[in-house]
Amino acid sequence: MRRFCRARAIVVVCVVVYIVSAGLGSFAIGRACGNDGKDEGTLYFREQVEPILRKRCYGCHSHLFGEMEGGLTLDWRSGWEAGGGRGPAIAPGKPEESLLIRAISYTDAVLQMPDVKLPDEEISALTEWVRRGAPDPRTAKPEGLIAADATDWWSLKPLVRPPVPDQGERNPIDAFILNRLESKGLSPADLADRRTLIRRVTFDLHGLPPTMDETDAFAADHRDDAYDSLVDRLLDSPRYGERWARHWFDTIHFAESHGFEHDVFRPNAWRYRDYVIDSFNRDTPWDRFIREQLAADIFFPDQPELTVALGYLGAGPYDHSAASTAPMSFEYLDRDDLVTQTMGAFVSTTANCARCHAHKFDPITQEDYYALQAVFAGIGKGDVLFDSDSAIAAERRRWKVLLAAAEEGRADVLLQPDNLAMVAEWEAAHGKSAVWRPLNFEPNTLVSSDGATLQRLEDGSILSTGTRPDKDIVTVRTGTELSRVTAIRLEVLTDDSLPHTGPGRQDNGNLHLSEFQFEIVHPGSTEGEASTISQATADFDQAGWTIRHAIDGNDATAWGIHPKVGEPHQAVFVLDSPPKIEPGDTLAITLKQLHGRSHLIGRFRLSVTDGPPEDVVTLPADALVALDVSTGERTTEQQTALAAAVLRLRAEQELQGLPSQQGVYAAAAKAESERGVVIYDAPREIRVLKRGDLNQPGEVVGPGALTAVSAIVDLPARFDLTETQPEAARRAALAEWLADTRNPLTWRSIANRMWHYHFGRGLCDTPSDFGHMGGVPSHPELLDWLACELRDSGGSLKHLLRLICMSETYRRTSRPTEQQVNIDPENRLLARMSRHRLDADSYYDAVLSVSGRLDLTMGGPGIQHFSTSPGAQLTPVLDYNDFDWDSPGATRRAVYRVVWRGIPDPLFDALDFPDLGLTAPKRGFSVSALQALVLRNNRFVLHHAEHMARQIELMEATCSEQVRTVVRRSWLRDPTPLEAEALMSLAEEHGLAAVCRLLLNSNEFLFVE
Amino acid sequence: MEMSKHRARTARREFLAQAGGGFGGLAAIHWLSRQLPGAESPLPELNGGLHHPAKVRRVIQLFMNGGASPMDTFDYKPELERLHGEMIGPKEKPEGFTGAVGAVMKSPFEFAQHGETGRWVSSVFPHQAEIVDDLAFLMAMTTKTNVHGPASYMMNTGFLLPGFPCMGAWISYALGSISDNLPEFVVLPDARGLPYNQKANFSAGFLPARHQGTVVNAGSPQPVPDLFADSQYRFATGEADADTMALLQRINQHHSEERPSDSDLLAQLASGELAARMQLSALEVFDLTSESEATHSAYGLDQSETEEFGRRCLLARRLIERGTRFVQVWSGPQGAVNNWDNHADIQKELPPIARNVDQPIAALIRDLKSCGLLSDTLVIWTTEFGRTPFAQSSVGRDHNGGTFVTWLAGAGIKAGASYGRSDDLGYQTAEGKTYCYDLHATILHLLGIDHQRLTYLTGGIDRRLTDVHGHVVHEILA
Repeated sequence: MRRFCRARAIVVVCVVVYIVSAGLGSFAIGRACGNDGKDEGTLYFREQVEPILRKRCYGCHSHLFGEMEGGLTLDWRSGWEAGGGRGPAIAPGKPEESLLIRAISYTDAVLQMPDVKLPDEEISALTEWVRRGAPDPRTAKPEGLIAADATDWWSLKPLVRPPVPDQGERNPIDAFILNRLESKGLSPADLADRRTLIRRVTFDLHGLPPTMDETDAFAADHRDDAYDSLVDRLLDSPRYGERWARHWFDTIHFAESHGFEHDVFRPNAWRYRDYVIDSFNRDTPWDRFIREQLAADIFFPDQPELTVALGYLGAGPYDHSAASTAPMSFEYLDRDDLVTQTMGAFVSTTANCARCHAHKFDPITQEDYYALQAVFAGIGKGDVLFDSDSAIAAERRRWKVLLAAAEEGRADVLLQPDNLAMVAEWEAAHGKSAVWRPLNFEPNTLVSSDGATLQRLEDGSILSTGTRPDKDIVTVRTGTELSRVTAIRLEVLTDDSLPHTGPGRQDNGNLHLSEFQFEIVHPGSTEGEASTISQATADFDQAGWTIRHAIDGNDATAWGIHPKVGEPHQAVFVLDSPPKIEPGDTLAITLKQLHGRSHLIGRFRLSVTDGPPEDVVTLPADALVALDVSTGERTTEQQTALAAAVLRLRAEQELQGLPSQQGVYAAAAKAESERGVVIYDAPREIRVLKRGDLNQPGEVVGPGALTAVSAIVDLPARFDLTETQPEAARRAALAEWLADTRNPLTWRSIANRMWHYHFGRGLCDTPSDFGHMGGVPSHPELLDWLACELRDSGGSLKHLLRLICMSETYRRTSRPTEQQVNIDPENRLLARMSRHRLDADSYYDAVLSVSGRLDLTMGGPGIQHFSTSPGAQLTPVLDYNDFDWDSPGATRRAVYRVVWRGIPDPLFDALDFPDLGLTAPKRGFSVSALQALVLRNNRFVLHHAEHMARQIELMEATCSEQVRTVVRRSWLRDPTPLEAEALMSLAEEHGLAAVCRLLLNSNEFLFVE
Repeated sequence: MEMSKHRARTARREFLAQAGGGFGGLAAIHWLSRQLPGAESPLPELNGGLHHPAKVRRVIQLFMNGGASPMDTFDYKPELERLHGEMIGPKEKPEGFTGAVGAVMKSPFEFAQHGETGRWVSSVFPHQAEIVDDLAFLMAMTTKTNVHGPASYMMNTGFLLPGFPCMGAWISYALGSISDNLPEFVVLPDARGLPYNQKANFSAGFLPARHQGTVVNAGSPQPVPDLFADSQYRFATGEADADTMALLQRINQHHSEERPSDSDLLAQLASGELAARMQLSALEVFDLTSESEATHSAYGLDQSETEEFGRRCLLARRLIERGTRFVQVWSGPQGAVNNWDNHADIQKELPPIARNVDQPIAALIRDLKSCGLLSDTLVIWTTEFGRTPFAQSSVGRDHNGGTFVTWLAGAGIKAGASYGRSDDLGYQTAEGKTYCYDLHATILHLLGIDHQRLTYLTGGIDRRLTDVHGHVVHEILA
């Protein structure tokens, strides 16, 4: 009945205390009346009233929770006597005049507390109390925001290396464990035999069983250091990183789809998966691992390949629908998820419990919680692009800086000598202006998709008149006498018939050119051959609506000229490889104008040229003016204008020439999702929200971490950052706070996790919660010693794992003695090892391994163990039964399978693979009939039983050898004669595959000793 | 060959006989099934209740996916007729609305009063109109979001975020099974697809995985995945299967005898026996041919519009009859069509989906009543949110978490009762507001569970289905 007994600790304690005091109280009155001043009124208060106040009112009106809404506190007498903004809360003896009673009775339309009306019996109890004169013995002012005893807690104490108990020359772990065992009068179990040991340590470090050959070799290796070399070999193998990365993915709820309503695949998430595997294999120091994942962009700007580490920030779910339709609450909850993930994973703290009120059990204020939200207030989830080659990244950075300077017209940058040299270089190469040949159109070659009248004027320009559609696609066709076209010029011209004289047809004279396309149509063909446009330049770009938007292939973006209406403009489109024009060819030009609200081109003229591309660019008017002045005589403004124009072109060309970038699903100030590129210009303003309610914003909070913990170990509680620092500085500051050697939580947290994954339970058995609601460590000194050892060894996980694996504690048998079972049934003292069932991933990998089908290919996009077909909306339909287990890559390790958050794989589901909607610091282990059915009948198991049988049948001639081999593979031992005979008979009657199926379902295979 | 087969059988029989022997076989299964991790001592008979006497032993929840419109079904709003066409809605698009707020739109459907209670029901539910006196209505349900994903999570798990256990999982966790032969919590999704959030609506969250909803594809030849091996694997079907599993059990038994007092091993062993029994019961329960023609026809299995939902309602009845504790029947998949998310045209989109469910639902209530099951069964009809009284584009309705309708029927329910009222437009609640917390608290209460005492410690919090909220709605209880 465990589940019903664990009620809220504080409430239970209080109730128990009061019941006890009530019971003794009446006795006390009889015995020593008046001794402690406990009268009937006080008793009534303690029994009937205080529990209600505590349960219903303290959340918003108490020192304990740091909440004093309306200035009112109800956790001491003076609190309600003074009252809040509305005056005293209680008029003793007069319930009807007491604000408190009116509020809880809901008699007053404007004052109704709490949000949900109390049950009638509670209202009566409080009313009766007031009627009796509101006796209240609570005269002392309660403790402040964070009670001193809340910080007096094992996990918050500064980390000091405890002395190792004197147990002779031993692994320190054993010294700690044996010391406790001795004190309890328990003797440790024997060491496990070699076969048991190699199976255990291989599963723990690799998530795989050893092969029969490895087992035999180890069993026969009698050198002193046989086990040491085995552990070293296992830690050096890349299988280690694959195994331990999986633990981390559980801890931070990493999956490869969004979850929620639109459960969409994240095709670039795998790069983060590979990063984590690689990090474990390299044994990246733990503090560095923290810094990389939270803010690689700040800490390691010269290693752009580390951008993949930021995949950490994108690990959790994403509500695409809410992001679009309810952005405020979406962002709020998305940040909440990241705070929960980060504080749980790195410091085993449930900071998220302080979202609606101060943490009820741990020293975490609501302000702390929102300070943590502020850390992540400048990022959104999506694909983040990066260069994996740092030289290319440097190039890209260089040209981007120059481009930005050009766009901003910054003379200090543009007029630097090497930049001026580039301008001079361009000027030398730039010949005479190109000769443009206007295109002449016959009227019937002008087409408006939406019914505008396209009228040809004397000067060869085209005027759009008549119907003014919302959107339009104008297509024109004509021949040319040129044999080669290098560029096309589009002039947009004014006309008195247009609003503001144009050149657009929108009421404000503006236009939006969504896409410009150029095609050559060969004689006899109706389909044109499109030419790629390598460069587009214009004499003027509206802010955010540059000419490059007209060639980006995206109909949603466009070129505009606002506010420079009422004057002509021009744009030039340079073709990538100038096509040859054969006699009879037709040029077809399409002007897509899809922005809507009649942002149409009013009048335009098109010309072509065969001049060299460098001559045909269009420079802004001021640059053209500068060009006409000889070099030595230009003013600074003219120099700057020309440099800006030329360097912008150059930077654009250079950027275009760089190899395309890679993406990783992460979170950043600029990330690409189904909603397009989402940019956070500045971090959101974060306010403390009363009761966590977006509609009740309080004070603004800056980025920071936990105040109480910071005070204990002298870390900054709020990060000292200026407005001008990028948002990443916030993440970096939190990373520093987390990774600091003084932070006691960080090192205890990871040391405990490592213990957890070896012994099936952490020294503290709530790996992501070291607070008052979590577990208390069974061996606090050992945990601290491990934490210090990890911290002082440069954060090397492998160092600690080696220590753990080498300990005798880890190497003991899992067969308990009677004494051990009686004294320590739960095995908290670790006199022996605990037996445990394989987790889903280990089972899966073990089946592949023993069936001889394991594909050890590492890295790259994940394997989808299902077929997909389009769903009704964005979420596809997944069919896990429709998968070819013989397809390439099908049998790679489980860590490389795509985990779809909302549509789990039935096989993994049955074996307690966690729901990654939330973080999963521990795997559950449940048993059910349905689980048994899945293990027996799932296609994966059956298919591999069949494979295994077929393979062994080819290897071994006799049935007895075949049975022996499959048993040895699965159980790493020979069958007993009885087993051999029974299994052989099964094989003879139903085939060897039946035996393999049995073995893959056997407890000896499913459990690790 | 014959000789060899014979010898083989004998050898195996000998093994089965010789190995172990001290173990009580099937007799121990009942005891063992109570020892399965995550289901510590479920109470076999819970009329005594976990915390107080229970009125309900089993639950069927009918979930209308997409946001069933209240003012076009059960929440009659004459004021909409008066204000039809007026632009009085919010000027700015509220969070979670998918489009601009249009003019007030009256219901295109006729409303009439039905039953002795005189309850208003629109013409889209002619069959439910006939059973209104058996139902109790929550007329002012509300939620905290206007977005499908979080709203579906909220109605199923009490939280806006993923990863929390749904009500069915909590109930399975709290009460365990009535019968060992069937899953405790079964989900019957629409054959056309899964609802919003896919299977995460049926998740056990942080509870042991065995409490998650078992998804049954009612129309499929293999309704429960992996119930039997695919016939292509001949070594795993028929006699081969039986022989293999008998030997497996014996070998596992031997294995656990060598490792005494390990309850995990014993539980694994017990699950093997239970699996075999579940195979048999499942075959029987999914076979609807034993039901009479009259039953088929009452549930609408003879009409194309009602056949699919009707089949699942009938299956729900058969499941609870045989010991499944909680069955959830979904109407409508995720998507723009075939569900209750009627954005574009309420007059066109609502009637077909309403027709799909109306007759089967009425048949289910009548059937449960006539066979006596309704005396300890609770039936709930609900959805994730309501819809706007304002038009979206011109004739559709947008999402509205402000107010919506849920009804309950069966054991412990005051038939014909009604609690709460929406405002005159049906836009927000006016009085008697109830959240999912209150609905869940009420359902748990009927099952003999105090919602504040059903907790599971995870991530530093004793989590509850009702978070830190919830009041039992006594007004609708008998």
